[in-house]
Amino acid sequence: MRKIRCWNAIARAVLLEALRRKDLWVIAILGFIMILGASALGFFGVAGLEVFVKDLSVTVLGLFSTIVAVLTSVRLLPDEIRNRTLYPLLARPISRFDLLFGKFLGAVFASWIGFLSLSFLTAIALLIFHVQFEWVMVQYLVAKMMGLVVICAVTLALSTFMTPQAGATMSFVLAFGSSMMIRGLVMASDSASAPMKGMFQVVNAMLPQYSIFDMGSRAANIGWSAAPLWVMGALLGYMVVYSGAMLVLSWSKFRKQAI
Amino acid sequence: MSNAIWAEDLHVRYRAKNGKWIEAVQGLSFQVQAGEVVGFLGPNGAGKSTTLKALMGFIEPCAGYCEIFGEPAGTLESRTRVGYLPEVALYYPFLSPLETLTLYGELQGLHGRQLRTEALHLLEVVGLADAATKRNKTLSKGMLQRVGIAQALLGEPELLILDEVTSGLDPVGRKELRHILHARRDAGCTLFFSSHELSEVEMLCDRILLIHNGKFVEERQIPELKAELRNYELTYDGQASLLDLTEDWSEPKPGEYVARFHSKEALIEAVDRIHQSKGKIIDVVAQEGSLEDYFVETIGRAA
Amino acid sequence: MMRKIMVATILLAAISVGYAVRNLGEVVNPPYVPAGLDAQETYASMSLLGQFKTSASAWLWLHADLYLHNGVEMREMTDAEKRSGVSTEDAADDGKAKLMDEETVLTTVPSKDRDFRGIFGDIERETSAYKDMHHHHHNDPKLALPLFRLMTWIDPDFVPGWVQGAAIIARDRTNEAAYKALEYLKDGRHQDPFSVSIVNEVGQLYITRLHNLPKAAEYLEQARIMGRHRDWVLDDTENNALLQCYRWLTLCYRDMNEPAKLREVATEGLHRYHGDPVLTHLLFPRPGPVVERLSH
Repeated sequence: MRKIRCWNAIARAVLLEALRRKDLWVIAILGFIMILGASALGFFGVAGLEVFVKDLSVTVLGLFSTIVAVLTSVRLLPDEIRNRTLYPLLARPISRFDLLFGKFLGAVFASWIGFLSLSFLTAIALLIFHVQFEWVMVQYLVAKMMGLVVICAVTLALSTFMTPQAGATMSFVLAFGSSMMIRGLVMASDSASAPMKGMFQVVNAMLPQYSIFDMGSRAANIGWSAAPLWVMGALLGYMVVYSGAMLVLSWSKFRKQAI
Repeated sequence: MSNAIWAEDLHVRYRAKNGKWIEAVQGLSFQVQAGEVVGFLGPNGAGKSTTLKALMGFIEPCAGYCEIFGEPAGTLESRTRVGYLPEVALYYPFLSPLETLTLYGELQGLHGRQLRTEALHLLEVVGLADAATKRNKTLSKGMLQRVGIAQALLGEPELLILDEVTSGLDPVGRKELRHILHARRDAGCTLFFSSHELSEVEMLCDRILLIHNGKFVEERQIPELKAELRNYELTYDGQASLLDLTEDWSEPKPGEYVARFHSKEALIEAVDRIHQSKGKIIDVVAQEGSLEDYFVETIGRAA
Repeated sequence: MMRKIMVATILLAAISVGYAVRNLGEVVNPPYVPAGLDAQETYASMSLLGQFKTSASAWLWLHADLYLHNGVEMREMTDAEKRSGVSTEDAADDGKAKLMDEETVLTTVPSKDRDFRGIFGDIERETSAYKDMHHHHHNDPKLALPLFRLMTWIDPDFVPGWVQGAAIIARDRTNEAAYKALEYLKDGRHQDPFSVSIVNEVGQLYITRLHNLPKAAEYLEQARIMGRHRDWVLDDTENNALLQCYRWLTLCYRDMNEPAKLREVATEGLHRYHGDPVLTHLLFPRPGPVVERLSH
């Protein structure tokens, strides 16, 4: 119980900082303006905007939520160390893992709030353009939120090993490029030898599988059914395992770090 | 009396930007009894902050051992009983002092109404009652230092470790801080702090520890040190011979003599001799010695 | 005195030659107005904004493919895949005109038998837009219209955006759709006044949708002249459009009963596009299947 209170307290502080910094609101407003602006094509005589508006929405949601997640997570620990706000925290009877986990939870909540705020604004835009509601859209939101957890964990891990700028860059590269790398592995595996295929499997397991959390193509297009429940369960399981591994990696570096 | 702090042959080193190892603390050993107020002094770069960080577990010593109330330093058990004020700390810019104290209090194990009451009380004690809900980024350096003092006092810790406690405080703030620390001392709290304000150290401490270049130099009890540093200046005329009582003797005017004594006994003996020789005592001045002079002289010897 | 007359005469001669040369200049050294993708390269080399415009329009162009395939990402086969005989996932023959060549395409997300990723692959096939695309059907290209509109807003020099967009608008085969497509192309002509493809498309619309051969011929002649004057700067897209222009124009003149013009255009076209079967057939008609008349 005490641990939970401790994580909650730290997460709340991270969330308050993120909200009061107004980064989230700027990004949400920008995203909303983008969606409305491009959707205004309808006013110029371009009919049949349903797929386009949904596609634009999932693109903007994906892009901005990733940016918020990375930028919130990457400065959690480095800023604490640089600003010396870490000392009064660690002077408390809390372990470094508690601190790390609390920070991580705060970043996740901040990312979710940003994502859900933008989703709400997007839903308004979709309503304006008479887009029909489908269950697969809800699944998209849930899956994306799980994906954001993984992004936060990976970014936090990177920030413990490198500067915030390098960490953010690497995280963005992974977020937007890991699916391309995996595609390359898949294409190469057809003609690869057995040992190479084994290595591809190892590399594939190590790379964050962000693409499996992205149901945007189903949500944006016509006639796709919702994914079966076992898939959502598998996503949840992967999220827990991979994020946990990233947190353990962060902790292994952070616990012995001289401050 | 048990030890609040015990450090044995402490060695702390860290790697500088050029890759070289720097020995910040070299074989430091000291103890602080429970209930004591100990000043931790040294010039800039002596290793004071590093020692305090090692006591808090922020840095792991490469050799040696330190304990807080019998628990290894840096463990959760040891930190439960400690309040720490870091040197030049900042606090979350977008939180208010009240929210800051609430956060730290929750981590300390406090919660609910009790925490809120204590946080508000501490803010009043440090003179920040009016600024309780302002954002930390709008506060001055001195006000942030007060926030720091307040957070160190959360949960009424048994040991206060304070790094540069008077940094950023104006004279009024320093006086208020002295009252707070006196009150904590009277309540049985152990204080271990570093400061460059020797006058504050003199007023508060029972004992001082002096270090230089990471090594222990000297420890002195304050009353004894003050007595040692104190001197008496006697101005007189007459034929009394006092040269065996002091070497510090001068004749500023013909027929008028000035002698300095470091002990009351020597002064009393000198007065007796002047009376016996039918001399006249013109003036007697008792002067408190300068802790600063002692500090500079001792560090100079150690260098 | 004589010297002054001589100097005056030489000056007058120089001015006259210069004046005459100015008119020839456009023929000898026409202003280089790049067409098609060259436009992007030229402007891109000039500015960062140009780079962005190129990339954005290219991305939107590729993204239109997703709309046609209902979100399923397709890719070209690798050489290794072609050699190993992997079956393609091309579109079904539904009797309509082919939108694109898909003889060697596969889904980007692989099928289970070609996927080494195990459970990760299974999950991805359930979360992304994936299905067996053998003999797949395409969505109505009108879904991609907003993308074409965006393409041309972001990068007005992107000619395929104008041409394909107009083709999609006019797909309905109604007069109203045709006029909308023409309005769209009017914007395109304003942005790219020297594009053969755009003017050719206008001509084609007049023929295929509005059945107005004289009007069509008017535009096709413009395209022909532009192509002639810009012969050595046309890229592949513009070159192909010019060939189509010659073909459509020849057909126009055939149906308008103007054999002299037909011969002129066909000959000129064959001079440029040696051995083109359509132009050859129109110039030298033989017994056998006849190219369908344009007018009904």
